[in-house]
Amino acid sequence: MNFKSLLLLFLIAIFAWYLSFLATRLDRLHHRVETSWANLDGLLQRRAAIAIEIARSEIADPASSLLLTFAAHQARDASVKDRSQAETGLSGTLGILLETSETMQGAIEQELLRELSDLNEKIKVAISLHVESVNRTQLIRSKWIIRTFRLAGRAPLPVTYEFEADVL
Amino acid sequence: MTFDRKRIGIVCPYGWDTPGGVQAHIADLATFLISQGHHVSVLAPTSEEANLPDYVVSAGKPISIPYNGAVARILFGPIAFSRVKSWIAQGDFDLLHLHEPAIPSISLLACFAAEGPLVGTFHASAKRQKAIFAIGPILEPVIEKLTARIAVSEAARETLTEHLETDAVVVPNGIYARRLAQGSLNPQWEGNSIGFIGRFQEPRKGLSILVDALPAIIGEVPDIRIIVAGPGDAEEFLEGVPSHLHSRFSFLGRISEQEKADFLHSIGVYVAPNTGGESFGIILAEALAAGAAVVASDIPAFQALLGNGKYGSLFASEDSSSLAESITALLKDRKTREQLKLDGKVYAQNFDWDEVANRIYDVYEMAMVGLGKVTLSSENRGWNKFLGK
Repeated sequence: MNFKSLLLLFLIAIFAWYLSFLATRLDRLHHRVETSWANLDGLLQRRAAIAIEIARSEIADPASSLLLTFAAHQARDASVKDRSQAETGLSGTLGILLETSETMQGAIEQELLRELSDLNEKIKVAISLHVESVNRTQLIRSKWIIRTFRLAGRAPLPVTYEFEADVL
Repeated sequence: MTFDRKRIGIVCPYGWDTPGGVQAHIADLATFLISQGHHVSVLAPTSEEANLPDYVVSAGKPISIPYNGAVARILFGPIAFSRVKSWIAQGDFDLLHLHEPAIPSISLLACFAAEGPLVGTFHASAKRQKAIFAIGPILEPVIEKLTARIAVSEAARETLTEHLETDAVVVPNGIYARRLAQGSLNPQWEGNSIGFIGRFQEPRKGLSILVDALPAIIGEVPDIRIIVAGPGDAEEFLEGVPSHLHSRFSFLGRISEQEKADFLHSIGVYVAPNTGGESFGIILAEALAAGAAVVASDIPAFQALLGNGKYGSLFASEDSSSLAESITALLKDRKTREQLKLDGKVYAQNFDWDEVANRIYDVYEMAMVGLGKVTLSSENRGWNKFLGK
Protein backbone atom coordinates (compact mmCIF):
# COMPACT_ATOMS: atom_id res chain seq x y z
CA MET A 1 0.00 0.00 0.00
CA ASN A 2 1.41 3.33 -0.91
CA PHE A 3 0.93 6.65 0.79
CA LYS A 4 -1.76 7.86 -1.56
CA SER A 5 -4.15 4.99 -0.98
CA LEU A 6 -3.62 5.28 2.78
CA LEU A 7 -4.51 8.95 2.62
CA LEU A 8 -7.58 8.14 0.57
CA LEU A 9 -8.69 5.56 3.10
CA PHE A 10 -8.17 8.06 5.89
CA LEU A 11 -10.25 10.67 4.09
CA ILE A 12 -13.03 8.18 3.46
CA ALA A 13 -13.01 7.23 7.13
CA ILE A 14 -13.29 10.88 8.16
CA PHE A 15 -16.10 11.44 5.69
CA ALA A 16 -17.94 8.40 6.98
CA TRP A 17 -17.55 9.65 10.53
CA TYR A 18 -18.88 13.04 9.48
CA LEU A 19 -21.92 11.45 7.85
CA SER A 20 -22.68 9.43 10.94
CA PHE A 21 -22.24 12.59 13.04
CA LEU A 22 -24.75 14.41 10.84
CA ALA A 23 -27.17 11.50 11.00
CA THR A 24 -27.01 11.45 14.82
CA ARG A 25 -27.61 15.16 14.89
CA LEU A 26 -30.60 14.85 12.61
CA ASP A 27 -31.99 11.92 14.53
CA ARG A 28 -31.80 13.93 17.74
CA LEU A 29 -33.71 16.75 16.08
CA HIS A 30 -36.44 14.45 14.78
CA HIS A 31 -36.78 12.99 18.21
CA ARG A 32 -37.07 16.47 19.67
CA VAL A 33 -39.79 17.47 17.20
CA GLU A 34 -41.82 14.48 18.33
CA THR A 35 -41.39 15.08 22.05
CA SER A 36 -42.04 18.80 21.80
CA TRP A 37 -45.19 18.08 19.81
CA ALA A 38 -46.34 15.44 22.30
CA ASN A 39 -45.79 17.96 25.06
CA LEU A 40 -47.69 20.71 23.28
CA ASP A 41 -50.47 18.33 22.26
CA GLY A 42 -50.90 17.25 25.87
CA LEU A 43 -51.13 20.84 27.07
CA LEU A 44 -53.65 21.76 24.37
CA GLN A 45 -55.79 18.76 25.29
CA ARG A 46 -55.74 19.86 28.91
CA ARG A 47 -56.76 23.33 27.87
CA ALA A 48 -59.71 21.96 25.91
CA ALA A 49 -60.74 19.93 28.96
CA ILE A 50 -60.58 23.01 31.19
CA ALA A 51 -62.53 24.98 28.59
CA ILE A 52 -65.34 22.45 28.80
CA GLU A 53 -65.28 22.62 32.58
CA ILE A 54 -65.48 26.39 32.40
CA ALA A 55 -68.37 26.12 29.95
CA ARG A 56 -70.27 24.07 32.55
CA SER A 57 -69.41 26.37 35.46
CA GLU A 58 -70.87 29.64 36.64
CA ILE A 59 -68.29 31.65 34.70
CA ALA A 60 -69.93 31.30 31.33
CA ASP A 61 -73.39 32.54 30.48
CA PRO A 62 -75.48 30.17 28.32
CA ALA A 63 -74.43 31.79 25.04
CA SER A 64 -70.69 31.77 25.70
CA SER A 65 -71.05 28.33 27.25
CA LEU A 66 -72.42 27.09 23.95
CA LEU A 67 -69.66 28.77 21.98
CA LEU A 68 -66.97 27.45 24.29
CA THR A 69 -68.20 23.88 24.27
CA PHE A 70 -68.38 23.97 20.51
CA ALA A 71 -64.87 25.40 20.15
CA ALA A 72 -63.39 22.97 22.66
CA HIS A 73 -64.92 19.94 20.94
CA GLN A 74 -63.74 21.17 17.59
CA ALA A 75 -60.20 21.55 18.93
CA ARG A 76 -60.28 18.02 20.30
CA ASP A 77 -61.72 16.38 17.21
CA ALA A 78 -59.74 18.35 14.62
CA SER A 79 -57.54 16.46 12.21
CA VAL A 80 -53.88 17.43 12.07
CA LYS A 81 -54.65 19.66 9.11
CA ASP A 82 -57.37 21.67 10.82
CA ARG A 83 -55.88 21.59 14.28
CA SER A 84 -54.19 24.96 14.32
CA GLN A 85 -57.32 26.73 13.11
CA ALA A 86 -59.45 24.98 15.72
CA GLU A 87 -57.00 25.82 18.52
CA THR A 88 -56.87 29.43 17.44
CA GLY A 89 -60.68 29.49 17.57
CA LEU A 90 -60.61 28.15 21.12
CA SER A 91 -57.95 30.69 22.13
CA GLY A 92 -60.15 33.47 20.81
CA THR A 93 -63.25 32.30 22.63
CA LEU A 94 -61.36 31.82 25.89
CA GLY A 95 -59.75 35.23 25.48
CA ILE A 96 -63.10 36.99 25.14
CA LEU A 97 -64.48 35.12 28.13
CA LEU A 98 -61.48 35.90 30.35
CA GLU A 99 -61.63 39.58 29.54
CA THR A 100 -65.23 39.80 30.69
CA SER A 101 -65.01 37.53 33.74
CA GLU A 102 -62.42 39.23 35.92
CA THR A 103 -64.87 39.86 38.71
CA MET A 104 -65.79 36.23 39.36
CA GLN A 105 -66.16 35.50 43.08
CA GLY A 106 -66.63 31.76 43.61
CA ALA A 107 -63.63 29.74 44.82
CA ILE A 108 -64.04 26.98 42.25
CA GLU A 109 -64.32 29.51 39.44
CA GLN A 110 -61.21 31.34 40.66
CA GLU A 111 -59.34 28.05 40.76
CA LEU A 112 -60.39 27.20 37.21
CA LEU A 113 -59.35 30.57 35.87
CA ARG A 114 -55.99 30.40 37.63
CA GLU A 115 -55.39 26.94 36.24
CA LEU A 116 -56.20 28.21 32.78
CA SER A 117 -53.83 31.15 32.98
CA ASP A 118 -51.01 28.90 34.28
CA LEU A 119 -51.69 26.57 31.40
CA ASN A 120 -51.62 29.42 28.90
CA GLU A 121 -48.15 30.45 30.10
CA LYS A 122 -46.95 26.88 29.65
CA ILE A 123 -48.50 26.62 26.22
CA LYS A 124 -46.60 29.73 25.14
CA VAL A 125 -43.31 28.15 26.15
CA ALA A 126 -44.25 24.81 24.57
CA ILE A 127 -45.14 26.53 21.30
CA SER A 128 -41.83 28.33 21.13
CA LEU A 129 -39.94 25.08 21.85
CA HIS A 130 -41.86 23.22 19.19
CA VAL A 131 -41.57 25.92 16.55
CA GLU A 132 -37.85 26.14 17.23
CA SER A 133 -37.28 22.40 16.86
CA VAL A 134 -39.34 22.26 13.67
CA ASN A 135 -37.46 25.18 12.12
CA ARG A 136 -34.11 23.69 13.07
CA THR A 137 -34.97 20.32 11.59
CA GLN A 138 -36.23 21.83 8.36
CA LEU A 139 -33.08 23.94 8.11
CA ILE A 140 -30.73 20.98 8.62
CA ARG A 141 -32.71 18.77 6.26
CA SER A 142 -32.39 21.31 3.49
CA LYS A 143 -28.59 20.96 3.48
CA TRP A 144 -27.41 19.36 0.24
CA ILE A 145 -25.23 16.76 1.92
CA ILE A 146 -28.16 15.46 3.93
CA ARG A 147 -30.40 15.33 0.89
CA THR A 148 -27.78 13.67 -1.30
CA PHE A 149 -26.99 10.91 1.18
CA ARG A 150 -30.61 10.56 2.31
CA LEU A 151 -29.61 10.85 5.94
CA ALA A 152 -33.16 11.64 6.97
CA GLY A 153 -34.25 8.15 5.92
CA ARG A 154 -38.00 7.79 5.79
CA ALA A 155 -38.75 10.25 8.60
CA PRO A 156 -41.47 12.64 7.45
CA LEU A 157 -40.49 16.28 7.10
CA PRO A 158 -41.87 18.11 10.14
CA VAL A 159 -44.69 20.48 9.33
CA THR A 160 -44.73 24.05 10.50
CA TYR A 161 -47.68 24.53 12.74
CA GLU A 162 -49.25 27.97 12.43
CA PHE A 163 -49.86 29.51 15.82
CA GLU A 164 -51.28 32.87 16.51
CA ALA A 165 -49.24 33.47 19.58
CA ASP A 166 -50.87 36.82 20.27
CA VAL A 167 -54.33 35.37 20.91
CA LEU A 168 -53.06 33.10 23.66
CA MET B 1 -46.84 24.39 44.69
CA THR B 2 -45.39 20.91 45.05
CA PHE B 3 -43.07 19.34 42.53
CA ASP B 4 -41.63 15.90 42.01
CA ARG B 5 -38.15 15.77 43.40
CA LYS B 6 -35.60 15.97 40.64
CA ARG B 7 -31.85 15.78 40.38
CA ILE B 8 -30.74 18.97 38.70
CA GLY B 9 -27.21 19.78 37.57
CA ILE B 10 -26.29 23.43 36.97
CA VAL B 11 -23.08 24.48 35.23
CA CYS B 12 -21.55 27.90 35.93
CA PRO B 13 -18.97 29.04 33.37
CA TYR B 14 -17.31 31.74 35.49
CA GLY B 15 -15.12 31.51 38.59
CA TRP B 16 -17.41 30.98 41.59
CA ASP B 17 -15.32 33.13 43.95
CA THR B 18 -15.52 36.30 41.86
CA PRO B 19 -18.76 38.21 42.34
CA GLY B 20 -20.85 38.56 39.20
CA GLY B 21 -24.38 38.52 37.88
CA VAL B 22 -24.30 34.97 36.51
CA GLN B 23 -22.84 33.50 39.70
CA ALA B 24 -25.35 35.33 41.87
CA HIS B 25 -28.19 34.16 39.62
CA ILE B 26 -27.06 30.55 39.89
CA ALA B 27 -26.59 30.73 43.66
CA ASP B 28 -30.12 32.13 44.12
CA LEU B 29 -31.65 29.63 41.71
CA ALA B 30 -29.87 26.71 43.40
CA THR B 31 -31.01 27.87 46.84
CA PHE B 32 -34.57 28.21 45.61
CA LEU B 33 -34.61 24.75 43.97
CA ILE B 34 -33.13 23.16 47.09
CA SER B 35 -35.79 24.83 49.23
CA GLN B 36 -38.37 23.18 46.94
CA GLY B 37 -36.88 19.78 47.79
CA HIS B 38 -34.83 19.13 44.66
CA HIS B 39 -31.31 17.78 44.65
CA VAL B 40 -29.02 20.39 43.10
CA SER B 41 -25.36 20.18 42.15
CA VAL B 42 -23.53 23.18 40.70
CA LEU B 43 -20.33 22.61 38.75
CA ALA B 44 -18.15 25.73 38.68
CA PRO B 45 -14.53 26.77 38.38
CA THR B 46 -13.22 27.80 41.81
CA SER B 47 -9.84 29.11 43.00
CA GLU B 48 -10.29 27.90 46.56
CA GLU B 49 -12.04 24.74 47.60
CA ALA B 50 -12.68 26.03 51.10
CA ASN B 51 -15.83 28.00 51.96
CA LEU B 52 -17.87 26.59 49.11
CA PRO B 53 -21.58 25.99 49.63
CA ASP B 54 -22.48 22.28 49.89
CA TYR B 55 -24.02 22.18 46.46
CA VAL B 56 -20.96 23.49 44.56
CA VAL B 57 -18.53 21.05 42.96
CA SER B 58 -15.20 22.46 41.79
CA ALA B 59 -14.12 21.89 38.20
CA GLY B 60 -10.64 23.35 38.71
CA LYS B 61 -9.00 26.76 38.88
CA PRO B 62 -10.34 29.41 36.47
CA ILE B 63 -8.15 31.23 33.96
CA SER B 64 -8.46 35.02 33.50
CA ILE B 65 -9.13 36.12 29.94
CA PRO B 66 -10.42 39.41 28.54
CA TYR B 67 -13.89 38.90 27.12
CA ASN B 68 -16.77 41.27 26.27
CA GLY B 69 -15.08 44.33 27.76
CA ALA B 70 -14.26 42.76 31.11
CA VAL B 71 -11.94 40.12 32.47
CA ALA B 72 -13.74 36.80 32.44
CA ARG B 73 -12.59 34.00 34.70
CA ILE B 74 -13.36 30.86 32.75
CA LEU B 75 -12.09 27.30 32.46
CA PHE B 76 -11.41 24.86 29.62
CA GLY B 77 -8.88 22.25 28.56
CA PRO B 78 -8.69 18.45 28.64
CA ILE B 79 -8.53 18.11 32.44
CA ALA B 80 -11.59 20.30 32.88
CA PHE B 81 -13.35 18.32 30.15
CA SER B 82 -12.74 15.00 31.86
CA ARG B 83 -13.98 16.45 35.16
CA VAL B 84 -17.12 17.68 33.43
CA LYS B 85 -17.69 14.23 31.96
CA SER B 86 -17.23 12.40 35.22
CA TRP B 87 -19.53 14.89 36.97
CA ILE B 88 -22.22 14.17 34.37
CA ALA B 89 -21.67 10.41 34.49
CA GLN B 90 -21.82 10.25 38.31
CA GLY B 91 -24.53 12.86 38.84
CA ASP B 92 -27.43 10.78 37.48
CA PHE B 93 -29.21 14.02 36.63
CA ASP B 94 -32.78 14.42 35.39
CA LEU B 95 -31.83 17.72 33.81
CA LEU B 96 -28.78 19.85 33.14
CA HIS B 97 -29.05 23.63 33.21
CA LEU B 98 -26.13 25.22 31.37
CA HIS B 99 -25.40 28.91 31.78
CA GLU B 100 -23.80 30.83 28.91
CA PRO B 101 -23.15 27.72 26.80
CA ALA B 102 -21.89 29.90 23.94
CA ILE B 103 -18.77 31.10 25.69
CA PRO B 104 -15.65 28.93 25.78
CA SER B 105 -15.97 27.52 29.28
CA ILE B 106 -17.23 24.41 31.06
CA SER B 107 -20.88 25.00 30.09
CA LEU B 108 -19.93 24.53 26.46
CA LEU B 109 -17.95 21.41 27.37
CA ALA B 110 -20.91 20.03 29.30
CA CYS B 111 -23.23 20.74 26.40
CA PHE B 112 -20.86 18.88 24.11
CA ALA B 113 -20.51 15.91 26.44
CA ALA B 114 -24.12 15.43 27.55
CA GLU B 115 -27.29 14.14 25.99
CA GLY B 116 -30.86 14.29 27.27
CA PRO B 117 -32.85 17.14 28.78
CA LEU B 118 -30.58 20.18 28.51
CA VAL B 119 -31.64 23.75 29.22
CA GLY B 120 -29.38 26.67 28.34
CA THR B 121 -29.59 30.18 29.71
CA PHE B 122 -28.06 33.04 27.74
CA HIS B 123 -27.15 36.08 29.80
CA ALA B 124 -24.90 38.17 27.59
CA SER B 125 -25.89 40.60 24.95
CA ALA B 126 -23.27 41.78 22.49
CA LYS B 127 -23.15 43.58 19.21
CA ARG B 128 -22.75 41.41 16.16
CA GLN B 129 -19.08 40.58 15.84
CA LYS B 130 -17.17 39.40 12.83
CA ALA B 131 -15.60 36.57 14.80
CA ILE B 132 -19.05 35.01 15.17
CA PHE B 133 -19.09 34.11 11.50
CA ALA B 134 -16.08 31.92 12.11
CA ILE B 135 -17.30 30.52 15.44
CA GLY B 136 -20.93 29.98 14.42
CA PRO B 137 -20.52 26.74 12.48
CA ILE B 138 -18.54 25.18 15.33
CA LEU B 139 -21.02 26.22 18.01
CA GLU B 140 -24.14 25.42 16.03
CA PRO B 141 -24.26 21.62 16.41
CA VAL B 142 -23.42 21.95 20.10
CA ILE B 143 -25.97 24.66 20.93
CA GLU B 144 -28.52 22.73 18.89
CA LYS B 145 -28.47 19.98 21.52
CA LEU B 146 -30.15 22.24 24.05
CA THR B 147 -33.74 21.11 24.46
CA ALA B 148 -34.84 24.55 25.58
CA ARG B 149 -33.21 27.94 25.62
CA ILE B 150 -33.81 30.77 28.04
CA ALA B 151 -32.68 34.36 27.50
CA VAL B 152 -32.60 36.69 30.49
CA SER B 153 -33.72 39.72 28.49
CA GLU B 154 -34.96 40.80 25.08
CA ALA B 155 -31.43 42.05 24.38
CA ALA B 156 -29.94 38.64 25.12
CA ARG B 157 -32.59 37.01 22.96
CA GLU B 158 -31.77 39.31 20.04
CA THR B 159 -28.08 38.52 20.40
CA LEU B 160 -28.95 34.85 20.27
CA THR B 161 -31.10 35.12 17.16
CA GLU B 162 -28.47 37.25 15.43
CA HIS B 163 -25.46 35.16 16.34
CA LEU B 164 -26.74 31.62 16.38
CA GLU B 165 -30.07 31.89 14.61
CA THR B 166 -32.09 30.24 17.32
CA ASP B 167 -34.93 31.58 19.39
CA ALA B 168 -35.35 31.53 23.14
CA VAL B 169 -37.94 31.96 25.86
CA VAL B 170 -37.38 35.16 27.84
CA VAL B 171 -37.30 34.67 31.61
CA PRO B 172 -35.83 37.68 33.45
CA ASN B 173 -33.22 37.50 36.19
CA GLY B 174 -34.57 37.05 39.67
CA ILE B 175 -34.18 39.30 42.69
CA TYR B 176 -35.41 39.11 46.28
CA ALA B 177 -37.89 41.91 45.71
CA ARG B 178 -39.77 41.39 48.98
CA ARG B 179 -36.67 41.41 51.13
CA LEU B 180 -35.30 44.48 49.34
CA ALA B 181 -38.55 46.34 49.80
CA GLN B 182 -38.06 46.22 53.58
CA GLY B 183 -35.00 48.49 53.79
CA SER B 184 -34.96 51.16 56.51
CA LEU B 185 -33.82 54.78 56.20
CA ASN B 186 -30.24 55.53 57.16
CA PRO B 187 -29.69 59.29 57.77
CA GLN B 188 -26.03 58.93 56.73
CA TRP B 189 -27.07 58.23 53.17
CA GLU B 190 -30.19 60.40 52.91
CA GLY B 191 -30.60 63.76 51.24
CA ASN B 192 -28.97 64.96 48.04
CA SER B 193 -26.93 61.84 47.48
CA ILE B 194 -26.14 59.82 44.38
CA GLY B 195 -25.72 56.10 44.91
CA PHE B 196 -23.83 53.56 42.82
CA ILE B 197 -23.22 49.84 43.36
CA GLY B 198 -20.74 47.77 41.37
CA ARG B 199 -17.13 47.33 40.35
CA PHE B 200 -16.58 51.07 39.92
CA GLN B 201 -13.17 50.79 38.27
CA GLU B 202 -14.46 48.96 35.22
CA PRO B 203 -14.74 51.45 32.32
CA ARG B 204 -18.00 49.97 31.01
CA LYS B 205 -19.72 50.74 34.32
CA GLY B 206 -19.34 54.37 33.27
CA LEU B 207 -18.58 56.01 36.61
CA SER B 208 -16.14 58.39 34.85
CA ILE B 209 -19.14 59.92 33.05
CA LEU B 210 -20.61 60.74 36.43
CA VAL B 211 -17.29 62.36 37.43
CA ASP B 212 -17.44 64.53 34.29
CA ALA B 213 -21.04 65.48 35.05
CA LEU B 214 -20.29 66.37 38.66
CA PRO B 215 -19.24 70.07 38.26
CA ALA B 216 -22.50 70.84 36.45
CA ILE B 217 -24.52 69.06 39.16
CA ILE B 218 -22.68 70.96 41.93
CA GLY B 219 -23.69 74.20 40.18
CA GLU B 220 -27.35 73.32 40.73
CA VAL B 221 -27.23 71.19 43.88
CA PRO B 222 -24.29 72.45 46.00
CA ASP B 223 -24.47 69.79 48.71
CA ILE B 224 -24.42 66.77 46.38
CA ARG B 225 -22.57 63.65 47.56
CA ILE B 226 -21.67 60.46 45.77
CA ILE B 227 -21.73 57.20 47.67
CA VAL B 228 -20.16 54.20 45.98
CA ALA B 229 -20.55 50.60 47.12
CA GLY B 230 -18.79 47.62 45.62
CA PRO B 231 -15.35 46.04 45.35
CA GLY B 232 -12.43 48.09 44.04
CA ASP B 233 -9.49 50.30 44.96
CA ALA B 234 -10.89 53.72 45.96
CA GLU B 235 -7.53 55.51 46.03
CA GLU B 236 -6.59 54.33 42.60
CA PHE B 237 -9.97 55.50 41.33
CA LEU B 238 -9.62 58.96 42.92
CA GLU B 239 -6.30 59.48 41.13
CA GLY B 240 -8.32 59.94 37.97
CA VAL B 241 -10.65 62.47 39.62
CA PRO B 242 -9.82 66.23 39.95
CA SER B 243 -8.68 66.79 43.55
CA HIS B 244 -11.31 69.43 44.45
CA LEU B 245 -13.99 66.79 43.86
CA HIS B 246 -12.45 64.18 46.18
CA SER B 247 -14.44 65.30 49.21
CA ARG B 248 -17.69 64.56 47.39
CA PHE B 249 -16.97 60.83 47.20
CA SER B 250 -17.33 58.23 49.87
CA PHE B 251 -16.68 54.52 49.42
CA LEU B 252 -18.41 51.77 51.36
CA GLY B 253 -16.61 48.76 49.92
CA ARG B 254 -18.64 45.57 49.68
CA ILE B 255 -21.95 45.71 51.52
CA SER B 256 -24.25 43.00 52.86
CA GLU B 257 -27.72 42.27 51.45
CA GLN B 258 -29.35 44.09 54.39
CA GLU B 259 -27.11 47.13 53.93
CA LYS B 260 -27.91 47.09 50.23
CA ALA B 261 -31.64 47.33 50.94
CA ASP B 262 -31.08 50.22 53.40
CA PHE B 263 -28.66 51.94 51.05
CA LEU B 264 -30.98 51.81 48.03
CA HIS B 265 -33.91 52.90 50.17
CA SER B 266 -32.06 55.91 51.62
CA ILE B 267 -30.18 57.54 48.73
CA GLY B 268 -31.56 60.47 46.72
CA VAL B 269 -31.06 58.92 43.30
CA TYR B 270 -29.45 55.71 42.07
CA VAL B 271 -27.34 56.16 38.96
CA ALA B 272 -26.36 53.52 36.36
CA PRO B 273 -24.18 55.23 33.72
CA ASN B 274 -23.13 51.93 32.06
CA THR B 275 -21.87 52.33 28.52
CA GLY B 276 -22.82 48.84 27.32
CA GLY B 277 -22.08 45.15 27.74
CA GLU B 278 -25.11 44.93 29.99
CA SER B 279 -27.88 42.53 29.15
CA PHE B 280 -30.49 42.85 31.86
CA GLY B 281 -29.38 45.23 34.61
CA ILE B 282 -30.10 43.23 37.73
CA ILE B 283 -28.86 46.02 39.99
CA LEU B 284 -31.41 48.39 38.47
CA ALA B 285 -34.19 45.90 39.16
CA GLU B 286 -32.93 45.68 42.75
CA ALA B 287 -32.78 49.45 43.07
CA LEU B 288 -36.39 49.69 41.86
CA ALA B 289 -37.50 46.97 44.26
CA ALA B 290 -35.88 48.79 47.19
CA GLY B 291 -37.67 51.98 46.20
CA ALA B 292 -34.87 54.06 44.71
CA ALA B 293 -35.37 56.71 42.04
CA VAL B 294 -33.21 55.60 39.14
CA VAL B 295 -31.22 57.49 36.50
CA ALA B 296 -29.75 55.18 33.83
CA SER B 297 -28.06 55.42 30.45
CA ASP B 298 -30.31 54.68 27.48
CA ILE B 299 -28.58 51.43 26.42
CA PRO B 300 -31.12 48.88 25.10
CA ALA B 301 -31.11 46.67 28.20
CA PHE B 302 -31.89 49.56 30.54
CA GLN B 303 -34.47 51.04 28.19
CA ALA B 304 -36.30 47.73 28.17
CA LEU B 305 -36.03 47.25 31.93
CA LEU B 306 -37.20 50.78 32.75
CA GLY B 307 -40.13 50.58 30.32
CA ASN B 308 -38.67 53.36 28.13
CA GLY B 309 -38.44 55.77 31.02
CA LYS B 310 -41.70 54.88 32.76
CA TYR B 311 -39.95 53.54 35.87
CA GLY B 312 -36.79 55.65 35.84
CA SER B 313 -35.13 58.54 34.10
CA LEU B 314 -32.98 57.79 31.03
CA PHE B 315 -30.09 59.91 29.70
CA ALA B 316 -28.10 59.73 26.44
CA SER B 317 -25.39 57.12 27.05
CA GLU B 318 -21.83 58.49 27.44
CA ASP B 319 -23.12 62.08 27.50
CA SER B 320 -22.16 63.72 30.80
CA SER B 321 -24.21 66.89 30.29
CA SER B 322 -27.34 64.84 29.64
CA LEU B 323 -26.58 62.86 32.82
CA ALA B 324 -26.14 66.07 34.85
CA GLU B 325 -29.48 67.36 33.58
CA SER B 326 -31.35 64.17 34.43
CA ILE B 327 -29.90 63.99 37.93
CA THR B 328 -30.55 67.63 38.86
CA ALA B 329 -34.04 67.51 37.38
CA LEU B 330 -34.90 64.47 39.47
CA LEU B 331 -33.30 65.77 42.67
CA LYS B 332 -35.21 69.03 42.43
CA ASP B 333 -38.59 67.53 41.61
CA ARG B 334 -39.72 65.72 44.72
CA LYS B 335 -43.14 64.83 43.36
CA THR B 336 -41.88 63.02 40.25
CA ARG B 337 -39.26 61.28 42.33
CA GLU B 338 -41.79 59.90 44.80
CA GLN B 339 -44.03 58.76 41.97
CA LEU B 340 -41.12 56.95 40.26
CA LYS B 341 -40.19 55.26 43.52
CA LEU B 342 -43.73 54.05 44.05
CA ASP B 343 -44.28 52.76 40.51
CA GLY B 344 -40.85 51.15 40.37
CA LYS B 345 -41.40 49.23 43.58
CA VAL B 346 -44.63 47.67 42.35
CA TYR B 347 -43.17 46.92 38.92
CA ALA B 348 -40.05 45.24 40.34
CA GLN B 349 -42.22 42.58 42.01
CA ASN B 350 -42.34 40.92 38.58
CA PHE B 351 -38.70 39.98 39.03
CA ASP B 352 -39.14 38.34 42.39
CA TRP B 353 -37.53 34.90 42.67
CA ASP B 354 -40.80 33.13 43.46
CA GLU B 355 -42.19 34.28 40.16
CA VAL B 356 -39.00 33.79 38.14
CA ALA B 357 -38.00 30.40 39.53
CA ASN B 358 -41.44 28.97 38.84
CA ARG B 359 -41.18 30.12 35.25
CA ILE B 360 -37.74 28.54 34.94
CA TYR B 361 -39.12 25.34 36.42
CA ASP B 362 -41.93 25.35 33.83
CA VAL B 363 -39.26 25.31 31.16
CA TYR B 364 -37.47 22.47 32.99
CA GLU B 365 -40.66 20.42 33.04
CA MET B 366 -41.10 20.80 29.30
CA ALA B 367 -37.51 19.91 28.61
CA MET B 368 -37.87 16.73 30.68
CA VAL B 369 -40.88 15.38 28.79
CA GLY B 370 -40.02 12.07 27.22
CA LEU B 371 -36.24 12.41 27.23
CA GLY B 372 -35.27 10.34 30.25
CA LYS B 373 -32.10 11.02 32.20
CA VAL B 374 -29.02 12.99 31.25
CA THR B 375 -26.29 10.72 29.92
CA LEU B 376 -22.97 11.17 28.23
CA SER B 377 -23.56 11.52 24.51
CA SER B 378 -22.96 8.46 22.39
CA GLU B 379 -19.72 9.81 20.88
CA ASN B 380 -18.21 10.20 24.32
CA ARG B 381 -19.41 6.86 25.59
CA GLY B 382 -17.59 5.25 22.70
CA TRP B 383 -14.36 7.04 23.49
CA ASN B 384 -14.57 6.14 27.16
CA LYS B 385 -14.99 2.47 26.31
CA PHE B 386 -12.11 2.71 23.87
CA LEU B 387 -9.86 4.27 26.50
CA GLY B 388 -10.93 1.65 29.03
CA LYS B 389 -12.59 4.03 31.45
